[in-house]
Amino acid sequence: MIRGTGPGIRSRNRVCGVEEIKARRRQQERALRKARKEKQLVSKRLPRGLQGDGEEMEIRETSVTQEEVLQLYQRIQHGSDDRLAALRSLHQVLQLKEAQQMFVRFENSIRVLIGLFTSNLASVQLKAAQCLLELSHSDDPSISLVCLPATPYLLTYLSGQSAKFTELCLYILGNLAAENEAVRNQLLLQGVIQALAICLQSPHGAVVEAAAYSLSQMLQAKEAGEKIIPSAVLEANLTPHLIRLLDLDSEFGMQTAVECAWCLHYIVSRKPQEGRLIKTVCCLSCSGVNCECMISQNLIRQAVILLIALGKAIESGITTDGVELLIYPVARCLGNLIVSNGPARSKVQPHASDVLRALSTFTSRFLQSRPFVTRECLWLLNNLTAGDEQFCSAIFHLNLVPVFLQLIPFSGGINTLVLMLLGNIAEMGPEYCEKLQQQTDIFPALCTTLRTADPEVVRLTLEVLNLILSHCQQACVSFANQSGISALEAIQYNSNEEIRVRANYLMDRYFTHKAPRCLEMGKFLNLSISFPFWLILDF
Amino acid sequence: MELPPALSSSSSSPPFTFSSRRIFLPKEDEFFEDGDIYRHLYLRDAITSVGEVERPKVSEFCCHIAGCSQLFDTLENYEHHYNTFHRNVCSSCKRSFPSSHLLDIHILEWHDSLFQILAAKQNMYICLVESCTEKFKASSDRKKHLVKVHGYPSDFRFDKPKKPKRNQKNQDRSPHDMDVETSNCQKETNSLFCQIAAESVEPVETMEAESPPVSEQENPSTLVQQRPSYSYRVPATICFGHGSVRGFKNPRKKK
Repeated sequence: MIRGTGPGIRSRNRVCGVEEIKARRRQQERALRKARKEKQLVSKRLPRGLQGDGEEMEIRETSVTQEEVLQLYQRIQHGSDDRLAALRSLHQVLQLKEAQQMFVRFENSIRVLIGLFTSNLASVQLKAAQCLLELSHSDDPSISLVCLPATPYLLTYLSGQSAKFTELCLYILGNLAAENEAVRNQLLLQGVIQALAICLQSPHGAVVEAAAYSLSQMLQAKEAGEKIIPSAVLEANLTPHLIRLLDLDSEFGMQTAVECAWCLHYIVSRKPQEGRLIKTVCCLSCSGVNCECMISQNLIRQAVILLIALGKAIESGITTDGVELLIYPVARCLGNLIVSNGPARSKVQPHASDVLRALSTFTSRFLQSRPFVTRECLWLLNNLTAGDEQFCSAIFHLNLVPVFLQLIPFSGGINTLVLMLLGNIAEMGPEYCEKLQQQTDIFPALCTTLRTADPEVVRLTLEVLNLILSHCQQACVSFANQSGISALEAIQYNSNEEIRVRANYLMDRYFTHKAPRCLEMGKFLNLSISFPFWLILDF
Repeated sequence: MELPPALSSSSSSPPFTFSSRRIFLPKEDEFFEDGDIYRHLYLRDAITSVGEVERPKVSEFCCHIAGCSQLFDTLENYEHHYNTFHRNVCSSCKRSFPSSHLLDIHILEWHDSLFQILAAKQNMYICLVESCTEKFKASSDRKKHLVKVHGYPSDFRFDKPKKPKRNQKNQDRSPHDMDVETSNCQKETNSLFCQIAAESVEPVETMEAESPPVSEQENPSTLVQQRPSYSYRVPATICFGHGSVRGFKNPRKKK
């Protein structure tokens, strides 16, 4: 089971080379992928800003002795001035895993710490909370779960006044929620969702971000779809707050929006429950259809506005680092929302051009750095254009076909989706096929994809060709003039049956005068004597 | 993400199944893996400015001639391979030649039964150099000519005298000489041709789902029975069924 801790660099006096960092990152990535496949992907967060409270963090040794930890433990038990200093030192020491292990094994140590956490001295409370945060962040459950007895307090303090303290409590809760289902059940029973809903309305940005983070840890759980989303989230009326926060102009900044976007993605992208269509944001207590439409439409509207704004920002060169972190969860929400919901789609149509422009900006911009962003945006484009004349014609108005054709060389799902996009457009009918075949690069692109190794890509290309050729006479000529026939010929005897059948059909139907089907001609070749006729002519 | 399964259709209707559709992806879908990983790296503070960018994968190209199935990373490499190995191919022995001129000569001298008869009476061995009109009585004469007049090496690969008895697995059958840095195409092709010759060359279209792997399939017993009874150079537009490496050729220039 893979759990999250921050990067391995804990001690300040060790300098890591760039290569080492990269190698570690690659290893981490591999471990994460494996964990995701096993559905055990858990990560925790320890925001840098919360670690210090304005004072300099000491550079310390990379190890500590049991004796030292014991001393600190003893010092914090006494109600003297020394206690705060000892707590400070303990907080630093607890960044080390071995110190954590030592500390939790001392008798009563956690009770003491939680006691300090509930102290009426603010500074002591704050320091104790920071210690708990370090413990909760551990990837070892035997350490992090010791914080469980603190949860009733954590939840109580959420409605307190101190922003920094609330923020700490929220991150501790979020890290604990990531642990396992039992913890989440306990938190649910203690009213975590309602408490988080209140925090989402706080005027402090850091608190809102922390609340959204904690909520995302609850919502991404395996069981969230059945147990958490229907009952708790919707009853607590959380979604309108999350939607409201998807706003670039909000005072809370992009990172908050990112957390909210992930929460909404987990809500919207819930696996369909047994034959029911997605009524993902249906509020149980509201009157059915009205409520669902309203919430969906609000979210769609907000998502569309956000994507358009981000697109414009990137186009005009105002970029912040990590803007893609916001783009793709929002794209995911929108992509899934417009699948089943008819009225929802009509919400997007007025903004068709702007959305398309933004999405094409994203696909080009992130291709060479984060290709998954390109891929996810292409999926959204497919959902927007499928069966939708408005979007398909907007693509031509904005001259976006060349932009998408530039993505053709790339595999990993990218060219597959581009071909589906072309198919969506071609399916619209003769006018659209006519325009498509007029695009200079279309047939070279399709000839390229016909030759790729991926049978799915080849098959899709044939499908697109079929649509274009069947609707547009001129296309046959253009295709032939651009070496299309030899590309088709080369796959007529492909080992994959689906490809073979389609390629042969196209050859037969549109290009028979150039290349007769060989089976009929075969019988003419069984000559017992062959005489090379050309030989006579030449000599 | 899966596309919808093909609908069954009668043989008379077009076999195409595409229809546009909106695709719902649940949060656990594999399609979202990369994005999820990136999200988790962010949570763990592991995205630094030092961090690498991820390059998109580029499509590979595949030679679709059944039995070949080689992969190439650029279109140019693929087309080079195709033009070299699949264009000028002798339908009888499957040797491939760099030019149609050499292919024609090969067919004439190796596979034409009338050639030997005519060669007894007149000079039939034409010079390998296209622009040279000399003809010779024997291949050894031609070879001397090539060496002396045209400066060819004495071991020029496309001037092998025909062996009286053809051994299909003969090492000598290296049909190709590329430039000095031979790609592994050649090695592949050698083993490929050894295998192909052993297969049936009847124009029967088999409907196997998989193309035969290059290294398997030795079937010497079928060889004897199914030697083609013709040795016509295969016209440009003809190709054979499963198992053929015959590609498509440019129309032969008239002399």
